[in-house]
Amino acid sequence: MAYSAEISRGNPSCFVFVIDQSGSMGDPFGAGDGNQKKSDGVADAINRMLQNLVIKCAKEEGIRDYFHVGVIGYGAQVGPAFSGALAGRQLVPISEVGNSPARVEQRTKKVPDGAGGLVDQPVRFPIWFEPIANGGTPMGQALGQAKSMVENWLSQHPGCFPPIVINITDGEATDGDPTSVADEIRKLKSTDGEILLFNLHVSSQRGAPIEYPSSDAGLPDKFAQQLFRMSSPLPEYMMNIARREGMNVNEGSRGFVFNADMVAVIKFLDIGTRPSALR
Amino acid sequence: MEIYAKEFWLPKRGSSDAEYEDAFSIAEDGFRFAVADGATEASFSGVWAKQLVRAFANKRLSIPIVLEELKPLQSRWQKIVHRHPLPWYAEEKASSGAFAAFVGLELSQEHSDAATKRTWRAVAAGDSCLVHLRGDQIVGFPLADSSSFSSRPNLLSSSPTSNGNGSGLLLSTSGSWGCEDVFFLMTDALSCWFFREREQGNEPWNLLRDLDTAGHVSFEKLVADLRSEGRMKNDDVTLLRVDVLA
Repeated sequence: MAYSAEISRGNPSCFVFVIDQSGSMGDPFGAGDGNQKKSDGVADAINRMLQNLVIKCAKEEGIRDYFHVGVIGYGAQVGPAFSGALAGRQLVPISEVGNSPARVEQRTKKVPDGAGGLVDQPVRFPIWFEPIANGGTPMGQALGQAKSMVENWLSQHPGCFPPIVINITDGEATDGDPTSVADEIRKLKSTDGEILLFNLHVSSQRGAPIEYPSSDAGLPDKFAQQLFRMSSPLPEYMMNIARREGMNVNEGSRGFVFNADMVAVIKFLDIGTRPSALR
Repeated sequence: MEIYAKEFWLPKRGSSDAEYEDAFSIAEDGFRFAVADGATEASFSGVWAKQLVRAFANKRLSIPIVLEELKPLQSRWQKIVHRHPLPWYAEEKASSGAFAAFVGLELSQEHSDAATKRTWRAVAAGDSCLVHLRGDQIVGFPLADSSSFSSRPNLLSSSPTSNGNGSGLLLSTSGSWGCEDVFFLMTDALSCWFFREREQGNEPWNLLRDLDTAGHVSFEKLVADLRSEGRMKNDDVTLLRVDVLA
């Protein structure tokens, strides 16, 4: 059965994030508060996903290397996008990612107070990526680099849980149609199944967020439709978990979201017993 | 009549003994036995699992467990976790609390002129299971078939808010016991294998009853074989076998 390989330190998997840092990301973000730019949406999305991935792998003794993570930025340049201690690195063990954020912000989150209400709790929020908006949108080139990164990983980890590539973009590629390289990525496979290519569309369009649609009918523009078509269908096991979590997914739902977050994908990954009460 | 309890345990393949997050406790004097299984996806779960089994063995938890009784354990867990400053990810993880499956068994007997009444009572949360074997009759609690196991069970939390009001989380049951009965307390990987074997017409209790006796398979070998054949999930595994001997 596909997508059933154990994710462990002995058999780790990998994530490759491909993030749009082009000039068009300086435009307003449709899901923002009016002052936010799309580049803020991208930075927030990647930082939140990395945070969730690190926390997923954290144990009392430290962070277990269940995953290796690569981040490719595309804009004025295309290439590995980590900064600071991780600058220039391709695939980095998740423990190093967790221990090397560029900075850690103090934020507050609402938590249940045990008496039916909510109370503010201070939390430390790590920042790896700042908003960047500069240059063209060479998405095809960036996806090509992601493909090489995954191919290299698969040659060393042929039996791993299939790697996941997440492209965070406004979809307005300037180096031609990225569909064919997306097709090539989705055809890569480990012995446990095909690689998953998901797309997170950060758009200036206002309107309700869309999560994991099963058709491109009703998507707000041609960029959303193209990104939908480039996205892998959600595997059966992810659909089952998504349904249990109360998410609205259908047969044919794809790994595509519009002005929404994709943190749920990280929660879908099984590294052992996950309490039903742990959100 | 004598009660004899023996524990068997192994960490997940690829993990060290120090990373084992199940726990067990035996109080033969008090006729109380428990196993617990700390959830992998939470942190400090092994500590929480240990706290639960010890508190049960020491009769600091009732049957059925009352949520109020967990409060001292939950405060203690907070103190243990925050003994040292934590990095951002460990702090965030710990703020969600630790989680564990749990099953506890108590045997009791009341003597009267006419007869001796022997009763067992058990309490459970999640997918750690008790099997009561008498002859070839078995009773499983709280689960009794392999299809009931998932990787997202309801578990007991070190965070009071995650336990809600406890309804549907803590279950209890009881029965009678006698000479030659055997009780198996097992964490989920072994429980799931046990029920699946039984559903296929096999008698897994014979293997477990004879473990580590002369001429029979060792626990280590049994688990290693089942894992490598894909018949048992690679997880921490614990068995507490309680034999009632004449």
